[in-house]
Amino acid sequence: MKFSGFGYLLKEGIKSIWTNRMMSIASVGVLISCLLLTGAASLLSLNVSNAVDKVGGTNVTRVFLDLDILDEEAKFVEQDIAHLPNVEKTEFISKDEAIKDYQDTLREDIFNQLIGEGNPLPHAVDVTMTDLARYDETIGLILGVDGVDSVRDTKDIAEKLTSLQSLVNTLSFWIVLALVIVSVFIISNTIRMTMYARRFEISIMKSVGATDTFVRIPFVIEGMTIGLISGVVTSVLLVFLYDIIMKTVQNIAQFNFVPYSQVGIWASLIFILAGMLIGALGSMISISRYLRKEGNELLGW
Amino acid sequence: MIEFRNVSKVYSTGTHALNKVSLTIEKGEFVFIVGSSGAGKSTFLKLIMREEIPSSGSIIVNGMPLEKMKRRKVPMLRRTMGIVFQDFRLIDKMTVYDNVAFAMRAIGARPRAIKKRVPYILELVGLENKANNYPAELSGGEQQRVGLARALVNNPQMIIADEPTGNVDPEMSYEIIELLHEINKRGTTILIVTHEHELVHSFDSRVITIDKGVVVEDTMEIRTSKEDEE
Repeated sequence: MKFSGFGYLLKEGIKSIWTNRMMSIASVGVLISCLLLTGAASLLSLNVSNAVDKVGGTNVTRVFLDLDILDEEAKFVEQDIAHLPNVEKTEFISKDEAIKDYQDTLREDIFNQLIGEGNPLPHAVDVTMTDLARYDETIGLILGVDGVDSVRDTKDIAEKLTSLQSLVNTLSFWIVLALVIVSVFIISNTIRMTMYARRFEISIMKSVGATDTFVRIPFVIEGMTIGLISGVVTSVLLVFLYDIIMKTVQNIAQFNFVPYSQVGIWASLIFILAGMLIGALGSMISISRYLRKEGNELLGW
Repeated sequence: MIEFRNVSKVYSTGTHALNKVSLTIEKGEFVFIVGSSGAGKSTFLKLIMREEIPSSGSIIVNGMPLEKMKRRKVPMLRRTMGIVFQDFRLIDKMTVYDNVAFAMRAIGARPRAIKKRVPYILELVGLENKANNYPAELSGGEQQRVGLARALVNNPQMIIADEPTGNVDPEMSYEIIELLHEINKRGTTILIVTHEHELVHSFDSRVITIDKGVVVEDTMEIRTSKEDEE
């Protein structure tokens, strides 16, 4: 195809959106809903993955020592743990350090009572393991060390989160797939309406020898533009929605969200590209079937 | 140039539209195709335009064999012919100028070429003063001249007019055919399908009569056989 007529085709495609604005608005609306739900599913999946990575990835087990242990004794216990097999690294957390984590969450007068002599926390040791597969075995050895009281078991949380992650991922995948199919169908239907409205012009184009590509381009542009508009609107909406959801969830439970600045650009980019791709695909499906028809058959006469 | 050799067309409904038709129309000829409705005229045209594929036999149009032509080659075939329809098939919301320019845009012509060519063609059909009018503001005869301008604008080797005078006043009909005759003098092959016998008889041209899917009369053959006798 010669490119000389491209400006004309572009104009035709955009004009057509305006001509069929009711249908265009409807499909933009549906596409936005689909993209938003798709985005929500993906972002949920991303956040769960992120949480799992944080818990599992840090790979640090906190070991609490006996409450009545003396400061100097505690250092020896740390040494004992450090010499165990599969222990890569240890870090001593004194009770004074541990209480500082609560400084922000407690009232000042209460906190002041808890520092120094009144500190109810035990000394602790953060243990990093070389091989997590030998987790249970290593924990057993640590618990056998004199002066060790208990272990905060993060493995359980990690396992629960991992199974939640796979559930969320599977669910997200099917939601995204279903919504993409719905979106393609919606776009393809809109384009079919446009094509029906312009069947007369198409039949004349074909009779004077327009190539299929040439007939197709305005419709593909129309579909892609609808997708582009939907993608942009969805991106804007998501900025606000993500913030609202983040705040709501954090009010209920402590959950570390991936900040929007980290995902925002990618999410927007994906929305816009996905929108345009869905638009192009939807219009292609309608046109290909239509272009095989000839003459009066095309006009439905 | 059109060459039909033993062409038959049977539709999937079982209708035998054409039965072993063989004929040749040379470049630059002016030919009427006549016959009652259902005789096979429409099928004949559809085969030439490759809207239909023959069930058997071979067709060559403007040097291109049609029976095995790939779908993507069809536009190139159609660019060698201009089609004039009985119902004009003009786009209501476009001006006369745009209706004609549309045919050029559809095949990717450059804007500059369109600007040069369309006024020239409108003048040729005598509509230079109606360029900015809409089809609804024109008479039937004028609308058909727009249709003719659109068929001519891409400079085809051949014009196929399907009942071009069917929706035009009788006096205007003559004018339309006269215009086609003028175009023929410039070397364009003209094929007119019609059932208006009077119109046909007022021109001394080749007439091919189709009935029940076969060519029952071809005046050129009569003429050539007469010449043989002499």
